Formats: sequence, C-alpha cells, structure tokens
Amino acid sequence: MKRMLSAVWGVLSSRALAPLAIGCFLLLYIGTAFFTEDALIALMDFTRSSAILTVLLFLLPLGSAGRIAAETGSYLKRRRALAGKAGGVPAGLFDETVELSAASSFAELQGRLEAVGYRTRLTDGALTAWRGVSGFPGRFLYLCATFCLFAGIFISLTARTSIRGTVIEGERFPVPSGESGSVERIALGKGTGLFLSKKLSIEVAGSGPGAVGEKFGLYPPSRYQGSYVYPRYLGVGLFYRFAAPDLPAGYETHSILSIYPPGKEAAEEVPGSPYQLMLSMEDPGDGSDPYATGRMVFLFKLLKGKDVVATGRVPSGGEYNQGGYRLSFPDSRRLVIIDFIQDYGVILIWTSALLFFAAACLWLPIRVLSPRREMLFRVGPEGERAWSRAEGRNRAQASVFHEALDALESARPAAT
Amino acid sequence: MMVAAKLIPQLLCWAGMVLVLARGFSGLRRVVAAAAPAGFAAGMAAACVLFRFLQGDTSFGIIRGAVGGGFLLLWGASVAALYRSSVRGGELSPVERVLRSPAFAGFAAFAAGLPAGAICASRLSASSGASLVSLLLLALSAAALAWAACAAEKRLPSQVTVSRTGSMAAVVSLLIFSSSYILRLDLFGPLTMKVMKFAHDFVHQFMESMLIPDHLFIRDYLWSYIGFLFGKEIGVWGGLFIWFTPVVLIALAIGFEPLPSVAHIRRGAERRKILAAALRQRRIRVVVPALALVVLVAAVYQSRFPSVEYWDPKPLPVAADASGEIFIPRKGEVDLEDGKLHKYLYKKGELEARFFVLMTPGGKLTVDLDACAICKPDGYGQAEGTVICYYCKTLIPLETVGKPGGCNPVPIPFTEKGDGVHIDGLTLINNWGGTVQSTARVKEGGK
Repeated sequence: MKRMLSAVWGVLSSRALAPLAIGCFLLLYIGTAFFTEDALIALMDFTRSSAILTVLLFLLPLGSAGRIAAETGSYLKRRRALAGKAGGVPAGLFDETVELSAASSFAELQGRLEAVGYRTRLTDGALTAWRGVSGFPGRFLYLCATFCLFAGIFISLTARTSIRGTVIEGERFPVPSGESGSVERIALGKGTGLFLSKKLSIEVAGSGPGAVGEKFGLYPPSRYQGSYVYPRYLGVGLFYRFAAPDLPAGYETHSILSIYPPGKEAAEEVPGSPYQLMLSMEDPGDGSDPYATGRMVFLFKLLKGKDVVATGRVPSGGEYNQGGYRLSFPDSRRLVIIDFIQDYGVILIWTSALLFFAAACLWLPIRVLSPRREMLFRVGPEGERAWSRAEGRNRAQASVFHEALDALESARPAAT
Repeated sequence: MMVAAKLIPQLLCWAGMVLVLARGFSGLRRVVAAAAPAGFAAGMAAACVLFRFLQGDTSFGIIRGAVGGGFLLLWGASVAALYRSSVRGGELSPVERVLRSPAFAGFAAFAAGLPAGAICASRLSASSGASLVSLLLLALSAAALAWAACAAEKRLPSQVTVSRTGSMAAVVSLLIFSSSYILRLDLFGPLTMKVMKFAHDFVHQFMESMLIPDHLFIRDYLWSYIGFLFGKEIGVWGGLFIWFTPVVLIALAIGFEPLPSVAHIRRGAERRKILAAALRQRRIRVVVPALALVVLVAAVYQSRFPSVEYWDPKPLPVAADASGEIFIPRKGEVDLEDGKLHKYLYKKGELEARFFVLMTPGGKLTVDLDACAICKPDGYGQAEGTVICYYCKTLIPLETVGKPGGCNPVPIPFTEKGDGVHIDGLTLINNWGGTVQSTARVKEGGK
C-alpha cells in the first residue's frame, strides 16, 4: 500500500505530468482538426462528455497541487538543513553533493567564504554559507498561478451552465428562477474607461414590496442569484402592423430584432404569406446613437418572394402607407440579449493572471540581480559532506565551492 | 535529365539525413547504412501503391501526414529533452538503453527512409509520372548516396558529436525541406491556416469564457489589436513559432545540460580541463540543431515563395445578353475542357464579378467565383493538381473545386448545355457582392 501511495505521489508530483496531459490534448486537437473546422469547440465538447478526458483534464490541477506540495516540502527541508538542524539531508535537495575524506575545521573556511561575499553561519559541526535572495516565493506564486489556471479551466469546462434571456424595457427581468422585478430602464452611454467604448446599464426594480432594485453593467460582469449577467447583444423589441393589397386583414406581432448597430439588418417573415421584411435601424448621421437617445428610425425593405415591393423609413410610432402596403411601428423598446452564467472557474482564471504577473515581477529581478547560492559543509551521521546549490550564476558558485573544498583539503593535517 | 535535376534537393537532403543518422548512432554505421536505403525503397514502393490505388489528394495527404507526424514527434522529443536537461546523467534508464540499441538504430534509419523515399517518389510522379526504370534509378541513387554519406561520416573528426534529439531535428527538418518543394506535401502553408483558425477560435472562446463584452462595446484601438489575432499574420507568426520552437528547445536543452560533477577532484587544473572539454562538446552538439534551424528557414521560404509557376490567365471580359444571361462557349477562344482554369470578368454598371470555369479531373465543368467565402478576394492560380488561394496560400485539390466550404472557390449555379455554359449575370453579381462584403473584415496585408 505504501509503495503504491508512493508511486501515485511520484506521478502526481512529477514535472512531466502537466506536459504529458497537455500533449495528449494537443494530439487530440490535431486529430480533431482533420475532421472538423471547429476543432477547439469540438474538443471542448468532447472533453465535457468523455469521462477519460475529464479525468485527464483533472490531472492538470492535481499535478500542479502536487508540485506545490513537493517543491514547498523540498524548500522547507533545505531550509532546515541549512539552518544546521540535525538529521540527514535527502538526496536531490542540492545540485552537488561531495563526500569529504576526513573531518575538518570549518572556522577558516568561514572567513574565506565571507571574504567572497557569502553570509555564513557556523554551528557545531556545520558551516552554512549563502548569498542572494531565494527565488522560491516567485516560484511558489508561479505554481499557485498554474494551479489556479488549470483548476479554473477544469471547473469552467466541466461545470459551466449558461441560460440565455432577453431583457426588454418594461418587461420582467428574465431570471432562470422566474421571480424578478421588471426592467425599469436600459441605458447605453459612452464609456469612460480605457477598454470599453460604451457603458450599459440595466436597471431592474425589486421583485416585491420593499425589495431593493438592482443595476447590471457590462464589465466586470454583475451577479444575480449566483449567476453572472453577461450582456451579449443589443437589439430592439418592435411591435409592428403590416397590411398588403393581398393581405387586407393585416398582420401584427411583437418582434425581437437584433439590429444594433445601425445598419445591421434582420429579416422578419410574415407567416402564411410570401412577404418578408428586412429591417434595420437608421444611422442618424450626426454621431448620435439611436439606441442611446431612443430616437429610433427604422429602414425597411418589403420583399414579395424575391421582388422588392416597397422600401422606406419609418420612425418609431410612425407609419408607411403607399401602394396598398401599410406598415406601422406603434411601439419600440430597447432590449439586451443576456446570458446567465454560472461559472466558478472565471475568478480562478483571472486570479491566475494576477499571480503570473506577480510571480514574474518577483522572480525576474531576483534571478537577474541576486540569485540565491547556498553551500553546506557538515559533519553528520552520514560522515563529512558538502552540498552546493545555485539558482543562477552556477559557474561562479561552482568555482567558489570547488575552491572551498580545495581549502578544506589543504587545511587538513598531512597523513602520517 | 530534367526530372533527375528536380530531385537533386531531395537526394541531397537524403544524404544529409544518412550522414547525421550515422553520426548520431555512432558505432552503428553499418546498421544505418543498411536500414536507411531499405526504408527509402519501402517508402518509394508505398508511395507508388498509394498513387496507384487512392484517388486525388488522399495519397499526398498520407505522405504529408507522415512528415507531420515526424514533426510532432520532434516536438515531443524536444520537450522531453528540455525536461531531461535539468537531470545530471547517472545510470541509463531502460528507455535510454533501448534508444542506444542497434535495433532502435535500424528502426530509426528505416523510419527516416520511408518518408524520404515517398517524397522522392511523389516528386517523380508529380513531375513526369514514375516509370519503373526511373524508380529503379532513384532507388539505386539513394542507396549509393547512403553509402557515400556513411563513408563521409567515417572521415569526420571524432570530436564532432550529435545528440539523439539533435539528429532527430536534422532528419525531420531535412524531410520537411524535401517535402516543401512539392506543393501538395508542403506543411507550413496548412500549418499557418490551422494556427489562424485556432487563434480565431481561441480568442472567441476566451472572450466568452471570461465574460468579456463583444466587440460592440470594446474601444476601436483595442479591437484593432485584438483584430490582429484574426488576421493572416497571426497564422504566419504562430506557424513560425510552432515551426522553430522544437529545434530551439533542443538547442536550449543542450545548453542547459549540467556540466560533469568535478567537485571531488582536488586539482583545479584538472577540473578546468574536464569542464572545458564538456563545454566544447556542448558547443559542438549545438551545431546540428542550429543547421536544422537553417534548413527549416529554407523550408519556410520555399513554402512562402514556391518556385512554381501558377497558371493564372488574365480574366476575359464577358457580357450578358438582354435576359441577363452570360454564355461561354465550350470550344471557342478558349477550350473549357482542357482542364485549365479560365478566368472571366463580368461587369454590370458599376458592379463587377470575377469568376472562372474549370473542368475537374472527374470530367465535370464547374463555375466558381475567383474568391472564397473566407479570404480577401485575391483569386486563385492553378498548379500541380490544385488551385491555390493567393491570399492564404491554401491548396485546393482540383477534385474538390466546385464544392462549397472552407477556402474553396464559391461555386455559382449554372446550366451546362451542349454548346457551353450559361450563367445568370444577376446571381453572379449578387454572389460576388455577398462574398466580397463578407470577407471585407479580413485585414489588408495579403497579396
């Protein structure tokens, strides 16, 4: 059992686990790309539906957690060894290990190492020398970032739910639970930030007496009943009446049209007739946004089969009446198509981005300016040994280490 | 004679491959010298069987897949090498023992010979059709070159060493360079297309996953940066990154290899001598991956600027009759049944549409826009059983011209009669207008 656990731990904490799992996904992606144009989406769907791939994906955050544990363990053990604590030094903690032939005194060596810039600590039977700053905090942040990224991707891919809804001014806010207040106002304005050119605000009244209303914006996405409210597209809810010479009874309906920005066309079939309306919003030409101002004028093209039988422009509330064709737009309202998204991976992925940035900011200057270099000379239960490790400038460290060993050797009394 | 001259790059690459393999598996020269030509001959035979029994582009696809598979293996090996580079050499692992065995040397040389032979056979069949005599001559030349390469390797100084991954990098890059001479075996072009598609899908998925608002709400300057990820350039740059990374990783892995432990040696001069020798060895081992990098650069150049002359006739102006119908006679100024692409230009007032008529290898006439539904309408040229989209360099086998989708030319409905083809002018103009409008989002920067 212990051997099995050890083997499992060996796999989970292996540096090769993540590249291997990613390599498998890469191969799958390439394979998928042979059969479909949308390989990425297909692979995501495949991963969601396949237990094996889900487990393979889960190995990524698990392996990252294993690496955090393993590297933190090594770091603590090394610190303990360098602090001169008793006990053996496990293999692999240092870059180089050398067995010394006989016991030596480290006092002279201490002075020599201090002279070349190392800080030292001489305890009973052990000399520790070090210089520079440890890069472990940066490495730790990097590993945490990797964990957050993989965990975020895993959660997002396997547990994300999305429900689409249409938010229309004056109508109920379309929450999945069904209980909500009505949409009081949808406002679109100019953005003031560095990234967003527009500012969208959806104001919803409280759902009951005394309940407080809510306001939803663009980014960062607002939350409602545990779901993110993710605005996708803008459109217009249009109520129109239409009559034609061969359709005297007329036809009227409420329609949801995705016709934002101005100029974008949407088609509306008139059921049971050969008529089709192509509708779009007119660009006022004065730089204003009709969706923001609410002064909407609609351009229409009426087709009978393939023939265009009428074209024109009708403002909201206005009417077109020519050649027996009558088209009126008594009511138009702003609408927003939104997705209610439950996804706990999003925060983890953004956290990982911050951690990656922090790790880079911490690690890079340390690595360039003052990388950690450590040496340990000890007379312990395993005999007299010396260890060396460097996080950078390895050649300089090796040179000092070798000279220290030479000094120890030469200081030893000649054999009789 | 011309055919033999056309095979010179492939045969030189083949000799280079054998030379590197013989040095990479030092002490197993005879195994390499026997297995590599055998693989070459087997590859040639396999290619001939493929061309004989499989239709259209499938056989080229299989050979290209084999070369691509080698490139994928190189990627895996390079990552593994980088990971291994941080471990100081101790006892050989069982895998390493296998990798150093004569059986593996034979297998590797045979496996390298297979695609090399197939590529040469493809070149031969693409040039003039492969006769038995020419195939036999090719096999004999390959064997002679392999023995010559082994003989040359014998004379190389013993200090010149090649790492396992270094020799793999050289073999794969030479294979890729060989195949880049044949349009339908080229890897870099399709790679850039796949990268472009991946970048597009990734950005889309990323924005959706991270709940980032759509482009409607993003500032123009920012969207223009994001738009770079949707352009052709990202395909080329991303492709270059994927292309060169494995060789760079291998060079880095060699550079990161730990120097031998000399801490137990108490004489400084001896230590320095050992370390200097190790450093010299390391530098020598980087030479082959560096050369592989140069070969890959050449392959990219060959792919981007192929020395192929495309058949790209100047569009002939055509007009519609009173009913708006365009008529192109089957035999007239041009012969529609000659298997060549024939371009036409139709103008209606301010509007115009460019299209072509082609007889596919299946004997069917097809009328298509000189544009696809994805790229900027830079048009198509014809070469080696394919038409090429000038904008994205995608090759479309002639068999699939007339079928919609992807980067295929947009097919136009037409009526085929005994005297020629009849096309509705309005349909043509509308189709062209729709296609150009829908591809207008593609950024400038193409041809």
